[in-house]
Amino acid sequence: MSESLTMTWHDEEAATVVRIAGEIDAHTAPQLRTRLIEIVAEGRARLVLDLTGVTFFDSTALGVLVGAQRRVRALDGHLGVVTDRPLTVKVFRMTGLDKVIALHRTLQQALDWQATLPRAGG
Amino acid sequence: MSESALSTVNRPESPAGDIVEVTLPASSAYLSVLRTATAGLAARLDFTLDEIEDLRIAVDEACAMLLPQAAPDAELVCRFALEDDAIEVTVRAPTTRGVQPERETFSWTVLTALAGEVDAGIDEGLTVWISLHKRRGLPTGAAS
Repeated sequence: MSESLTMTWHDEEAATVVRIAGEIDAHTAPQLRTRLIEIVAEGRARLVLDLTGVTFFDSTALGVLVGAQRRVRALDGHLGVVTDRPLTVKVFRMTGLDKVIALHRTLQQALDWQATLPRAGG
Repeated sequence: MSESALSTVNRPESPAGDIVEVTLPASSAYLSVLRTATAGLAARLDFTLDEIEDLRIAVDEACAMLLPQAAPDAELVCRFALEDDAIEVTVRAPTTRGVQPERETFSWTVLTALAGEVDAGIDEGLTVWISLHKRRGLPTGAAS
C-alpha cells in the first residue's frame, strides 16, 4: 500500500498545532482519531489542525474532525482547521460542516483566530 | 491497449463500451488502490482533473459505506462501465446483514453531491451494491 498518513504536533502560544499529511480515508482515519484523542486527553484543548499536506479527504475524515471538536469543546476549547486545498474545502461545504468547524487558509490566520478566543478556565 | 504513453494527443480508439472490473479484498487497506484505478479510467474518458477528483471521492465513499457490513473474507467487486461522455461505477460486496446504505450520513451526502445519479440495492446472498453515474462536463451539485 502506498498510502500513508503522518502527524506531527507542537505547542504554540495560541494553540497546539497538529500537522497532518497524506491521505485520510477509512483506512488511515482510525490512527488519526486515536492520536487526536491522546492529544486532547493530555489537556490540550486549543487545536489547530493543519491539513495543508493532506492529499485525500473524505467523509470519514470529517467524522474524525467533528469528534475531535466535540472533545475540545467539552474542555471549553476550540478547534480550527487550516486548508487551502479545493478538494478538502469542497467536502466541508457539501456537508455544511464549513459552518460548524472554522476553516482558515493559512496557519497564521488560524493562530490569530485562536488568540482572539477566550481561554478555558478563565 | 496498443497505445503508447505519448499517444493521448491523437487517440485512435475510444474506450467507450469497455467494461473494467476490479476485484479486491473487502478491506479499507485497498481503498487507495481503487481510487487510483478510478482516476486512471476517468482520465481515459477525458474527464477534467476536478471531475476525476470528484470520482475518486465518490467511489471511495461508496466503498467505505459497504465495508463495515462486508462479510468476513469477502471480496469487493468494482465494475466500471465506460461510456462516451460518462462512467458508471458499481461496487458490490456480500454482507452479513444485507442493510441498505444509510442516507442520513455525511458519506451519502458527499457521494450524491459528487456523482450525480446514485442508486443502491440488495441482491441475493445479501450482496449490497451501490452504483453511481457521472457525466463529463456537468457541474457538481454543491461545488458551484
